Amino acid sequence: MEPRKISPVVQQAVDHYIDQSQTLNQHTENQSLQSLRAKAQMLFADRAFPTQKDEDWQYTKLRSFTQNHFKSQPAKHLTLEQVNQFLPDFPVTKVVFVDGWFNEALSDDLGALPKQASFESYADVTEQTGDFHKLYEHEDDVAKEPFGLLNSCLAADGFFFELEANATLETPLFILHIQTNALQSVQVRNRIDVDENAEMTIVERYVSLDPNQSEAAFTNVVTQIDVAKYARVRQIIMQEQHENAFYFNNQYVFQQDHSNFITFFGSTGSLISRHQNHLWMNGEHIETEQNSACLARNNQTVDSRTDTQHNDVWGLSQQLHKYVLADSSTGVFNGMIRVDQKAQKTDGQMDNGNLILSNKARMDTKPQLEIYADDVKCSHGSATGQIDDKQIFYMQARGINKSDAIRIITHAFLLEPTESISNDGIRAWVVSRLSNGLEKINH
Amino acid sequence: MLLKVENLHAEIDDKEIIKGLNLEIKPGEIHAIMGPNGAGKSTLANVLVGRDEYEVTDGSIEFDGEDLDELDPEERAHKGMFLAFQYPVEIPGVSNKFFMQTAVNAVRNERGQPELDMFEFDEFAKEKIELLDMRSDLLDRSVNVGFSGGEKKRNDIFQMALLEPKLCIMDETDSGLDIDALKLVANGVNSLRSPDRSFIVVTHYQRLLDYIKPDYVHVLYDGKIVKSGGFELGQQLEEQGYDEIIRHYHNG
Repeated sequence: MEPRKISPVVQQAVDHYIDQSQTLNQHTENQSLQSLRAKAQMLFADRAFPTQKDEDWQYTKLRSFTQNHFKSQPAKHLTLEQVNQFLPDFPVTKVVFVDGWFNEALSDDLGALPKQASFESYADVTEQTGDFHKLYEHEDDVAKEPFGLLNSCLAADGFFFELEANATLETPLFILHIQTNALQSVQVRNRIDVDENAEMTIVERYVSLDPNQSEAAFTNVVTQIDVAKYARVRQIIMQEQHENAFYFNNQYVFQQDHSNFITFFGSTGSLISRHQNHLWMNGEHIETEQNSACLARNNQTVDSRTDTQHNDVWGLSQQLHKYVLADSSTGVFNGMIRVDQKAQKTDGQMDNGNLILSNKARMDTKPQLEIYADDVKCSHGSATGQIDDKQIFYMQARGINKSDAIRIITHAFLLEPTESISNDGIRAWVVSRLSNGLEKINH
Repeated sequence: MLLKVENLHAEIDDKEIIKGLNLEIKPGEIHAIMGPNGAGKSTLANVLVGRDEYEVTDGSIEFDGEDLDELDPEERAHKGMFLAFQYPVEIPGVSNKFFMQTAVNAVRNERGQPELDMFEFDEFAKEKIELLDMRSDLLDRSVNVGFSGGEKKRNDIFQMALLEPKLCIMDETDSGLDIDALKLVANGVNSLRSPDRSFIVVTHYQRLLDYIKPDYVHVLYDGKIVKSGGFELGQQLEEQGYDEIIRHYHNG
């Protein structure tokens, strides 16, 4: 293969992040972690950032990203009041990160969690040479993603959460990320272990303190979630950073027999937002649901991806991904369902629907199936279109004015995936967050 | 006079469909508009309620003493016009209840009446559902999604009952309905009849008229009303078809 040509701008960015990673290593005493990062640096130096020639990055253009040199900086001081404005209106256990740094003082007392639950910060975990591996268990898979690899170079905070077997966490864990600094690089590495027959709900929210900040910021998350036998996990993620921010999130989910995992991703913020689920269904009778509601306007790009691997019999996976695209925005959906030869009786459904509100907006969608078993039921569908004039006229003829009709139809379209959220309070909150995003759209 | 249409000319995609139509309707009257395919029946219904794609090129439509020229469909709805659709439209994700509460309140606002809150609307809707003998789960379902043809038409009649219009225009509401569904629709219409509510029933066939019994029957052909009469004209058309009238029009 020809050596790839790297533009000077991209090369400078690569050098910058390798430099950042080396500095980070100088402040680490854990030698195993140092060598893990050093290995990631070498790979990253070799691969650099993807370009539009990479199939998976054809529509999510990184030019605006690589022009910036994001830095890891100390967090701004925030008051409890500034933090609490971002709390939802249902009871939660709050875990606060400011500019990527875990803030114990602004978080709820995590010692007060039920005794079957334990929370450790990244610093606590990486202090122990032997223990830190639990945050870096699947490095080969993580390294396949450019931003996963960069996270291996730069992760400096995050958490490890474990819920013991048979325990139920009644109050959702609310992970709040508040970005404040201009040009901040936020690199977070997390792991959530939900043991056999345990149950919990995780709500994550990504916001900017100043919704009108004009300087860019960079959030890059890698989370591993292990859902043990018969365990049940619900996850809600709302990405609402300011519109010059960059958001990348790679989730690696491992499910065992009879487990149930439902994840919802809602996106209204950031200039580029790219959310990826890598899901392994490694057992029988696993149920999983992955849904997203993505809204973009102006020059925003929103990119949601799923890679679902059915590796055993009687697996059920369902997906619904809805996009509303205004102005000159871009939407990208890429979904892959792989069904192993062994995974008979698999039922895999993937749907993607896109509403285009402007002639300049564009949607690129690629739902895919790869099936090696012969007794399966799988389907995928995708539809992209504009609001039907007949619907608008029907509503007008009933006395509803045209702009309200468009608003109501758009709203209903985007909110369909929220119907999978079974908790009324959480669903109402997600609906209100997405509605807030919809209010900003010019029709 | 509730509706006064004078020398109406209208076109769609630069093609003239309505070519000088006159029609007068007094409060409480029921007028049937019949005619062969392509005569302009659906166009007339759509033009009366102000659909965007249709352009009035000449003549006037006066409703309740006011010229409707340039008024949007929603403004005509506020003034008391209602169109029952030939093909009621599906709106996924929007419940009938939310849709109709929004519509009723939009109309009430225009009429200077206070908006109905959720509970008041529930009461109001329940009354109408009982009046029309409809299923109560109608309100919780998405607008027309998964409805049978008959259910969609009945949902339109339900909306008509809620909006309490002065003029109901029914655009081939009978098309595609079996006899039972047709009777339900006709019963709905009959229960909404009143001295200050008028109807225009656009239809190709006589059978709906047997249940609704219009005061006047007009034959629309080539964009004009070419013959008018009483209820018996419909019966005559049922027996003889439109050929005689068309031949007379071309020779006349």
